[in-house]
Amino acid sequence: MNQWAPVSVVPPPPGTQDMYRYQPVSAEPAYHPVQARQTFNQTPAYTMVPQQPPPSLQLQPVQEPQKKKIDWPHSVRMYVQRSFDPANVLDDIPRSEMEAKLKETISRATDSQSLDSTDWDNLPLPQHMIRQERAHKAWQEESLKMQMASNGYINPAREQFITQKKRKSTEMGGGNAKENSPPWQRATNNRNGFEDRVTFPEKRQHLPDDSLKGTSKFQKNLEKRQRRFDGGYKSTYQAPNYASEPSSGPVVGTSQTLEKQYFRLTAPPIPSQVRPEAILRQTLDLLKKKWKKEGNYSYICDQFKSMRQDLTVQRIKNEFTVTVYEIHARIALEKGDLGEYNQCQTQLKALYAQNLGGKPFEFKAYRILYFIHTSNRTALNDVLADLTTAEKKEKAIKHALDVRSALALGNYHRFFRLYLDTPNMGAYLMDMFVVRERLAALANMCKAFKPDVPLRYVTEELGFESDGDAAQFIYDYQGQALLEEKEDGLRFLTGKAGQLFEAARAQAFRKVDIKGQI
Amino acid sequence: MESVFQCFQRGYGNGDGYALSDTLSPIPPESQPDRLNNFFRSTNFANVKRDFKQALLRNSEVGMSEEEYNGWVEVYVAYWKAVGELLAADAAPKSNSKAAWTKTYDAWKELTSVLHRGYSNHGFPSWTLPCLYVAGKFLRIFAIKADEATPTSMSAVTSFGDDLNPDAEKNEKLEDAARQLNRIFNLCLSDREPNLALSRKWGIYYTTNLLLKTYFKLNQIGLSKNILNAIRAYKGDMPLLDKFPASQQVTYKYYIGVICFLEENYVEAENNLTEAWNKCHKDAIRNKELILTYLIPCHLLTTHTLPTLALLSPYPRLQKLFLPLSRCIKKGDLSGFDTALVAGEDEFVKRRIYLTLERGRDIALRNLLRKVFIAGGFEEPKEPGAASVRKTRIPVAEFGAAISIGSKETMDNDEVECLLANMIYKNLMKGYIARDRATVVLSKGGAFPGTGV
Repeated sequence: MNQWAPVSVVPPPPGTQDMYRYQPVSAEPAYHPVQARQTFNQTPAYTMVPQQPPPSLQLQPVQEPQKKKIDWPHSVRMYVQRSFDPANVLDDIPRSEMEAKLKETISRATDSQSLDSTDWDNLPLPQHMIRQERAHKAWQEESLKMQMASNGYINPAREQFITQKKRKSTEMGGGNAKENSPPWQRATNNRNGFEDRVTFPEKRQHLPDDSLKGTSKFQKNLEKRQRRFDGGYKSTYQAPNYASEPSSGPVVGTSQTLEKQYFRLTAPPIPSQVRPEAILRQTLDLLKKKWKKEGNYSYICDQFKSMRQDLTVQRIKNEFTVTVYEIHARIALEKGDLGEYNQCQTQLKALYAQNLGGKPFEFKAYRILYFIHTSNRTALNDVLADLTTAEKKEKAIKHALDVRSALALGNYHRFFRLYLDTPNMGAYLMDMFVVRERLAALANMCKAFKPDVPLRYVTEELGFESDGDAAQFIYDYQGQALLEEKEDGLRFLTGKAGQLFEAARAQAFRKVDIKGQI
Repeated sequence: MESVFQCFQRGYGNGDGYALSDTLSPIPPESQPDRLNNFFRSTNFANVKRDFKQALLRNSEVGMSEEEYNGWVEVYVAYWKAVGELLAADAAPKSNSKAAWTKTYDAWKELTSVLHRGYSNHGFPSWTLPCLYVAGKFLRIFAIKADEATPTSMSAVTSFGDDLNPDAEKNEKLEDAARQLNRIFNLCLSDREPNLALSRKWGIYYTTNLLLKTYFKLNQIGLSKNILNAIRAYKGDMPLLDKFPASQQVTYKYYIGVICFLEENYVEAENNLTEAWNKCHKDAIRNKELILTYLIPCHLLTTHTLPTLALLSPYPRLQKLFLPLSRCIKKGDLSGFDTALVAGEDEFVKRRIYLTLERGRDIALRNLLRKVFIAGGFEEPKEPGAASVRKTRIPVAEFGAAISIGSKETMDNDEVECLLANMIYKNLMKGYIARDRATVVLSKGGAFPGTGV
């Protein structure tokens, strides 16, 4: 791996690194040139970043400043020492590069006066940072391609993307995993020295299949299953993991990419792949625009899930968090993705409990409607227990509570009045149970009214748009024989319906199961 | 130390499981308030095992196997450690007791595991099961204490979920306790001892009740299903429920009843709760009150009956809960019913009976409509001397007027018809609505089933 001449901080041209398959034609450095991230307002990640530090300082030993200023904290000194510790040397990171990184890290801390507040003991060593950045770089490029592909911007890439994806899921038994894995990951197989002596939990996963020959069949199957579970993406995501030490607190993200594909975490998150709040705010703006313009739900949902994940791993809980969940919840509602909606709703409940702002009334109302839909009495009871007297008077919540009580008392008249006058996006939820409630009301009418009622009455009572819709609904449940033309218009022969709607009602009220997601 | 092991010997010698379990209680007996303190001070970490071995040897000429003897030594060593943590937690300042209670919980959990091992590996006899009861009972209590104690710092990310689970953090230890109790449950359930009299299956209902109690506290009542299914699966292979202590039967039946109640299976709920009610100890006022809290709403829906004053007289709380509603239901006072329901809403919701009681409005409405029907009087007799017949054709408007009494706005006819249709649909009223004539035609024989008219 040591093809780079460790003479300069400027990275070798990409051509010297066969491993960069995803390298665009433009002359880009093979890794992130280590620019100081004091501001989040930076240029897009895929453009060239100016090189630093200034050449005059370049090759000076890093310990130098230590001698000049005596007031280096002990932790910093230890950090420097650890960086040079032979046990920590990584073969594919040239010493000069490591030194530059170390220097940059320390001077950044000095400049921003965070020398004392930085947790030097847990800060990744410069060599690890470099490695992460390389991985990150590759990741960015790949994810950029994927984004463009999934957005349909470039068709060839899309095809490539799809075949790649397909191959990922079918290659499980094949030996070409090595070929398909991203370059920096393949590099891990060539690791030696230190790496070989330490067992990393994830390491096994990066090995191509043929290396498993020695392991038991069980183990192999286990591996295979694990990979299948990962859906082919995760290896990309997880590979640089060995470098990050599991920290004890929430992660602080450093990623600057706006978009990120969602992966389910199976190991501690890596800071370089987590976007800090400022970036996430930009992401949200971008996603809002995209949703309006393209309306691609699977893309939006995926992006929102990764945003939620980034927020969670960093334990960001503020008004912005609320906004993210709210917007995702609304979009999911609009698309009828109740599984995703329910996840958001659960989080929102906890977030509202901390008074972080947002629109608690709107969403508490949805929550009630949602539990009506799922006929979840226990949850409904809990919701009622949580509402304050003042909240019960809020328009949206009052509406939802009225819906609930109308249904509990079988007052379909009131229910459908409420249905026609639903605030916010509650109608999306009500649409989900309006059919079964119509059937219930029809079953009710058919038993109580004799001999018939005007079709107009059904239309009005059950909130249909027109007589035509009402008739169609009755038709759909094989009730065509119950409609009769009389001198004053169409009549609905309730007296002759028998058990027709009763049976349909019972069918419709069977337990609603909405574990399934879109 | 000696006193504890003397008690052990007495309990063991007499084969008295409950006396034996007293030696493992984290609450000192009233006669020896300092027992825990003295017990803990009687030895130290270095010597505890040796000391207990000797003490147990001195006090156990009761012929237990070497294996079992070692098991008990382990148990008392674990107990000694747990007592140490407990004493520390009791002494810890309230504002900063989370760590101490967490340690207590963990130590007690260790004791529970050691006991568990005692049964699975060291051949503890099943009559000593009450020791396991004590362990389980206080495991739950210490878990709650640990969860309730004020935390000092935010914990790190421990799971890789995409979203936070706020409840999981709030009830971390209690959820863990539920898992431990589940282990105990399985230890009892899966005993293969062919002689039922010697089987650990006698521990089933105590542990089940403890588990159910925990699930209720965790608000994860759905998990009870697994337990109940397991019990059902082993049914033929287990002592009958009525052979167990009455207290266990009552508790079990109560929980089953409440679970059915929450699933709206009111008939089953009523059966189970009635059984619990009948077997409940006459002086267990609190328990009887709990049973009635669910049994009364059950009766309202299944048999349309309300509790008598005499039944409620020993329970002022229940009187406050149910009497206002009962009065309104009897009178058919709809607006009064609504007011009472709103007034009691918080209490009802807390006890999970609100949604059930709300349906009592149907009965109130039925009673009101019945009054209208009776007020309608009789038909003109067609021939003198014939049996008088009530008027069965009643204008919808008359019902509407009655429904609107007490409320400020008049209900429109469509809605009145809707409510009437509901009454008919639910068989609370017999007849039909002739919409074109705006009349309700009621059945001549029993227009309001079960009410005598």
